[in-house]
Amino acid sequence: MPKSQNINPKIVREPKFIEFGKIPVNQYNKTIEQEKKSFSNEDFIRIYHDMVVIREFETMLNLIKTTNEYNGIPYNHPGPAHLSIGQEAAAVGMAYTLEVEDYIFGSHRSHGEILAKGLSAIHRLDDEALYTTMKNYFGGNALKVVEKEYSGTGIKGLAKDFLLYGALAEIFARENGFNKGLGGSMHAFFTPFGIYPNNAIVGGSGDISVGAALYKKINRKPGIVVCNIGDASMGCGPVWEGITFATMDQYKTLWDGEYKGGLPLIFNFMNNLYGMGGQTMGETMGYDILARVGAGVNPESMHSERIDGYNPLAVIDAFRRKKQILTEKKGPVLLDTLTYRISGHSPSDASSYRSKEEIEAWQKEDSILSYGNSLIEAGIAGKGLLDEIGSGTRELLSRILKLSINDEISPRIDLHKDPDIIGNMMFSNCSVDKMEDRKPEVLLPMEENPRVKSLKNKERFFKDKDGKPFSKAKLYQFRDGIFEAVVDRFYKDPTLAAWGEENRDWGGAFAVYRGLTEALPYHRLFNSPISEGAIVGTAIGYGMCGGRVIAEIMYCDFIGRSGDEIFNQLPKWQAMSGNIIRMPVVIRVSVGSKYGAQHSQDWSALTAHIPGLKVVFPATPYDAKGLMNSALQGTDPVIFFESQRIYDIGEMFQKGGVPEGYYEIPFGEPDIKRKGDDLTILSIGATLYPVLKAADILLEKHGLNAEVIDARSLVPFNYEPVIESVKKTGRIILASDASSRGSFLKEMAQTITELAFDYLDAPPVVVGSRNWITPAYEMEEFFFPQPEWILDAINERILPLRGHIPSTDFSVKKAIRLNKEGV
Amino acid sequence: MATAVIMPKQGQSVETCIITKWFKQKGESVSAGELLFSYETDKAAFDLESPEGGILLDIFFPEGSEVPVLANVAVVGRQGEHVSSFNPGNSSISPPEQVNQIPAAPAYSGFTESDSSSAKPDHSTIIRISPRARLMAREKGLDISSIKGSGPNGRIIASDITSATPAKPYIQQAAPSSEAFSKPSVVSSGSDYSDTPLSNVRKIISKAMHASLQNSAQLTHHMSADVRKLLETREKIKKAVSEKKEQQDITLNDMICWCVIRALEKFPEANSHFLGEQIRTFGKIHLGLAVDTPRGLMVPAIKNAGDFHLAALSKALKSAADSCKKGNISPELLQSDAATFTVSNLGAYGVEMFTPVINLPQVGILGVCTIIHRPANLGNNFFGFVPYIGLSLTYDHRAIDGGPATLFLKEIKNQIENFSL
Repeated sequence: MPKSQNINPKIVREPKFIEFGKIPVNQYNKTIEQEKKSFSNEDFIRIYHDMVVIREFETMLNLIKTTNEYNGIPYNHPGPAHLSIGQEAAAVGMAYTLEVEDYIFGSHRSHGEILAKGLSAIHRLDDEALYTTMKNYFGGNALKVVEKEYSGTGIKGLAKDFLLYGALAEIFARENGFNKGLGGSMHAFFTPFGIYPNNAIVGGSGDISVGAALYKKINRKPGIVVCNIGDASMGCGPVWEGITFATMDQYKTLWDGEYKGGLPLIFNFMNNLYGMGGQTMGETMGYDILARVGAGVNPESMHSERIDGYNPLAVIDAFRRKKQILTEKKGPVLLDTLTYRISGHSPSDASSYRSKEEIEAWQKEDSILSYGNSLIEAGIAGKGLLDEIGSGTRELLSRILKLSINDEISPRIDLHKDPDIIGNMMFSNCSVDKMEDRKPEVLLPMEENPRVKSLKNKERFFKDKDGKPFSKAKLYQFRDGIFEAVVDRFYKDPTLAAWGEENRDWGGAFAVYRGLTEALPYHRLFNSPISEGAIVGTAIGYGMCGGRVIAEIMYCDFIGRSGDEIFNQLPKWQAMSGNIIRMPVVIRVSVGSKYGAQHSQDWSALTAHIPGLKVVFPATPYDAKGLMNSALQGTDPVIFFESQRIYDIGEMFQKGGVPEGYYEIPFGEPDIKRKGDDLTILSIGATLYPVLKAADILLEKHGLNAEVIDARSLVPFNYEPVIESVKKTGRIILASDASSRGSFLKEMAQTITELAFDYLDAPPVVVGSRNWITPAYEMEEFFFPQPEWILDAINERILPLRGHIPSTDFSVKKAIRLNKEGV
Repeated sequence: MATAVIMPKQGQSVETCIITKWFKQKGESVSAGELLFSYETDKAAFDLESPEGGILLDIFFPEGSEVPVLANVAVVGRQGEHVSSFNPGNSSISPPEQVNQIPAAPAYSGFTESDSSSAKPDHSTIIRISPRARLMAREKGLDISSIKGSGPNGRIIASDITSATPAKPYIQQAAPSSEAFSKPSVVSSGSDYSDTPLSNVRKIISKAMHASLQNSAQLTHHMSADVRKLLETREKIKKAVSEKKEQQDITLNDMICWCVIRALEKFPEANSHFLGEQIRTFGKIHLGLAVDTPRGLMVPAIKNAGDFHLAALSKALKSAADSCKKGNISPELLQSDAATFTVSNLGAYGVEMFTPVINLPQVGILGVCTIIHRPANLGNNFFGFVPYIGLSLTYDHRAIDGGPATLFLKEIKNQIENFSL
């Protein structure tokens, strides 16, 4: 809570009633005649045309899925096709008013939205810009294909071919697709037209789009963001968290100057009344009318409104009005765009959850049919013209389909020729000082920052020249290493922003950011709601739009709350975009202790398991600073683990102390913290310190000189130094604070076994925490690996230690029993 | 129809054999006559060839298993054929008793339950060795079967290889007899002592020797014999062999055995078995010859040794000794009752006298000692140095009294001193 705003008990304790304003429902009532002022005939017809293109596109996919044929062209598409037949008016109406720089985000059912936004962008872009875009996209490969077959005149017509071909090739997993065929039906997108990722996780865009809006706002980019998600996603946590994040008071109360004001964001619920088969109105939700939800969020009720998504003009009208609200910085907006999906959820949908009568009733009011009729009635178009649009579209799509399914013209990426092609797309691996070249906004010169000043007087090595350790007060600590890297980047990269719980004022729960509040304006460092999903989700949206961001998860245990974002979103989009997108997102995750079962878990293995994330876990101030510098210099998502046990530890390994200047420690390189010949101990994170104690005991009591290697990184990881060590010692123990079952150590142990089998004198032995709940601090010595455990494990599994009295049971029998019992 | 591969019965008394190595893995194809596995009895090693071509459908005993003879070891047949009916574990035959377990009880204080890892009998006899130690052993040419592991559960680890003395693998190479006395390939698990598990052969020997000393009344007489004639003959033969006039090199030991046989012919009571209630005296002489092998002492019998002329006897002795060293001697010939009398020659090592231990139920064993030059009356009170070979006869007093035994020994001496081709 900022000190600038006092919460006065007298005021907040006053009795009163909350008054909700009216939320309009289907209030649009203009006739075509009345709209003629706003639309030219051409506009009216273009709207119709775009709807028909979408309808035909979806019909084609439906026929291919259900009959393996369209217009006599056979094709089998085994992949997904979540169609939105019936929802065309909502899509076209949504996209109609959008500028190219307005971004849309979508769902699994967003073919229509992609095409609508694409057609809208083509309409808005001039020929030269259009052609350049197409020519520069993946070397103009898709353009070459459509250009060769193009019989029309004009770049816009060519661009329409390009759009349809790029989308269809993407759906069919062809290399000429918008995302090299790696996104597919549910994820296709094309950023040059302002089409940002569709998302196969229901509500997945609910917080990512908020991050995109933050990107626009924080970096003063033109345009708005439209989050197109389904009605059923209103039941998803990330959507609620996204809404919460997007409607924080601070934008209007605390953010300064031109940054003051609401986010340029429309949550556009494409309300087709069903989530797959669950009826949201009447069965699975309780809002009756979705637009009602806005009333509970903020005093503006999110400017919520239900609009008739069966009438493109009603949707366009709403978007015009809502865009104005966003321009006035009064966003975000919630739209309940009522529509209906005549097609099934997917081609396998037997419509067992809705009656034939219901479908027929909606078909009777079909948007294309009724809008076409109204055009005819208003004398804007004759039936002949409309039919011509229909037949022309069928012809066009037949041509595009043939191109898309031709294996020679539209091959898939060649994994025979280059089996690593997808692997090489997992990371962008760039080294970028700043994501944009402009002056970073800061509140004071770095050297005047109180923390920076105080660090000048700290001891950067943990003991003096006589070997006497410095007091904590004098010590340059682990948290200072992270701070130095972070503050340095804030002064380098103008796009860098950081958020999380208690990041501002408090300086982070563990004082890593102490001093940043003084340095940075609100829009670069702010407190988030307790919405771990949205903390990460917004960072993803921010990153994919081109901003660098550090999001913080206060305790590793809260990763579960951001599970979809960390597991399904953050790691995927670089590769799923065909490497169009970069993801310079650093997630700082603090690993706790002392606070029991829900605040003490090292879940590094969970993140390391997911392809597409870089994972590091430094254990020294020097490594923390160097790895954070690398994380912030890179363009890949990084999960940066920090152990709360060692935030106050000094540098014990770099004799010269932690350098004041900038340096990077490359990801993936383990570090030998102590040399030895008799056995190797590989540790992850803060377990380095008990490991060093174990190494001391091994030397003193057993004459064994242990080589201690600090993994530092989990992904990527260079096994070579470890294997070299194992070649020398023949024995390796792996230790970390993670519960041993499924910990990353097991992965490492297995890999080492494979890579150094002939050099092993014993199996690699893992010493992790118990597979229990973490008990209270007073009992932690029974849970987390202790130095003696390492000796016990060596004694039992690797090398009997003379005179060693085990404190724990590492016997085979016990291991079998524990596994049997699941503990 | 799949064919069972059975553990052959190598001799009447052989009850179990140990599989030492599988050359084929389950699922591999084999052709008839191709090596399937090696196995060993108490004293000898053999290879088994596949009786049929086909797929090695199943293996019922892993390496290191002790397998009752005639039990099904494996099945060869066509892919997909049923094999479970061949599995001895599935029949009424009780699974083989594991008698040869790696000694448990590691020499360190651990949780005792860890030792129960040997609970699965099938795996108890495998050699536990780390990959690193295996690699080092290969590089040093060490036979890992004779190395005691100091790692967990007796696992051979790198330090065991470092401290192990290189020894040549026993099967592949015949060790010169002098090597038999080289230090055993043991492992030092402490700074001041070493523990070596008993090999199979060692177990047999220790049992037999202990039983012999406990269950008989044996004593030893020493005598020496002038070996000038033997040495002369030896020189002649050596010369003849070097000049290629003779093919067969005849050693001193061959000649002594020859003399012993001749003496036995005159003293049949020494060519007998003491069977408790009776003495079995043999008409034929089956001469046992003590042979030192890297695996331990072996005493093959030369059947009907009395029927051989000297060159044939020499050949038979050499062949028996070689077979022992190679490990392919028939177990039948190694049984202590296969021989009727035994000669043990330690002369080459300079032993001046010893008390050889009788291989029961035999009643005597002659220890042949080194040659020592002694002053002797060469005639007319002219004294000179004469080479004498020491003879140590151990006899079972239960069967033979001192008088006849001495006369028998004297007869051997006579045969030696009056040796002629």
